[in-house]
Amino acid sequence: MEFKDYYQTLGVEKNASQDEIKKAYRKLARKYHPDVSKEADAAAKMAQLNEANTVLSDPEKRAAYDAVSAQAAAQGTRAGAEFRPPPGWDTGFEFSGSPAGAGGGDYSDFFEQLFGQAARRGGGFGHADPRAERRGSDHHAKIELDLQDAYHGGTRTLSLRAARPGPDGRMQSEERSLEVRIPKGVREGQLIRLAGQGGPGLGEAPAGDLFLEVHFRPDARWRSVDRDVYQPLPLAPWEAALGASVEVQTPSGTVEVTVPGRSRAGRKLRLKGRGIPAATPGDLYLEVEIALPPADSDAARAAWTALGKAFPTFNPRETQGR
Amino acid sequence: MPHAFHLPAQMAELLDDDSLTLEELARACRRAPEWVSEHVEAGVIAPRPTEGVGLVTWRFASTTLVRARRVAELEDCFGADPHLAALTVDLMEEVGELRRQLRQLRPTGPSP
Repeated sequence: MEFKDYYQTLGVEKNASQDEIKKAYRKLARKYHPDVSKEADAAAKMAQLNEANTVLSDPEKRAAYDAVSAQAAAQGTRAGAEFRPPPGWDTGFEFSGSPAGAGGGDYSDFFEQLFGQAARRGGGFGHADPRAERRGSDHHAKIELDLQDAYHGGTRTLSLRAARPGPDGRMQSEERSLEVRIPKGVREGQLIRLAGQGGPGLGEAPAGDLFLEVHFRPDARWRSVDRDVYQPLPLAPWEAALGASVEVQTPSGTVEVTVPGRSRAGRKLRLKGRGIPAATPGDLYLEVEIALPPADSDAARAAWTALGKAFPTFNPRETQGR
Repeated sequence: MPHAFHLPAQMAELLDDDSLTLEELARACRRAPEWVSEHVEAGVIAPRPTEGVGLVTWRFASTTLVRARRVAELEDCFGADPHLAALTVDLMEEVGELRRQLRQLRPTGPSP
């Protein structure tokens, strides 16, 4: 596994006080907070900061980490290089196993090897009751879907990386590919729960759950607001002026829509119940846009000129005053 | 070699507006149930309106879980007061919504 220099991650000296560590962590956490940061790798960086802070802000874990670091230094290991602590490295340390923070759960192999089992046990590192049972932690991930998936359901294959106990009982990183059937009726921001797909339980205790937060991929054709869906409806000027029956591709399929005459740009036509499916489904709103045919030939230019002559008093800017 | 798990469809459960109990919400935030009840009393997170009375009948929307995890994370990261964390989360939610609308207006452009 790769050796992690937590002091370097937080940019503090090895003899930094708890207060200095706290300040350094908060400063960097603000910079890389995934909800506000514009840095490309903000989420990954935040996970590294959380991990470094989890270790260095806890005096017990920090002391153990310092001991491992000293051994690594004696072996000439530097940050990022391969490192394996000698057996029994943790002898003499007793961890209180304080639970990881809300953002926890996304730790490196290095962390899992050193502290993973202790954190899961929740008791002393070398003194925990091996018969103790504890439900696995819940895991969280985001998933991007197309809006049509909300109408028809869909299947997605997720790649997940999580630490699980290996045959020898030590934590090891495992990549899993998980095929998930997305239920119909899902909305932006809603969660899907996959029971038992979170962290493994201790002893006979059940595994935690995996929560997937759903977001729809941006699509120029439509957007959703709760269960309602909005879709632009481009019309030719004569269709908007005179009314027409037009075919529209909606997320649920092709629909024949009767457009009333004298429709202006921005007018909304509601198709009841054609939003996201549910016991009370949402509605689909078609938003009228006027599309202009190109004046790219003599005949087309003549037609536009004739139209202008047919409306000599028409002033499209009359609402702007003089 | 990654292992492939094929999950039966019924295991993927869509969490409706009143799916989560107080214990489930607390567990998913890695917090004690008391943390949830204190934050409900402080008005930082809200249960769905239900007919019953008392903590046992409280149910939470899945979007409340996302909100509660953010509040918990801000309290952890910055030692934030719950109301300050809630104010920050209000702003995060609003920025998230505005960014979503902006992405919708410029679907092919880079994320703002």
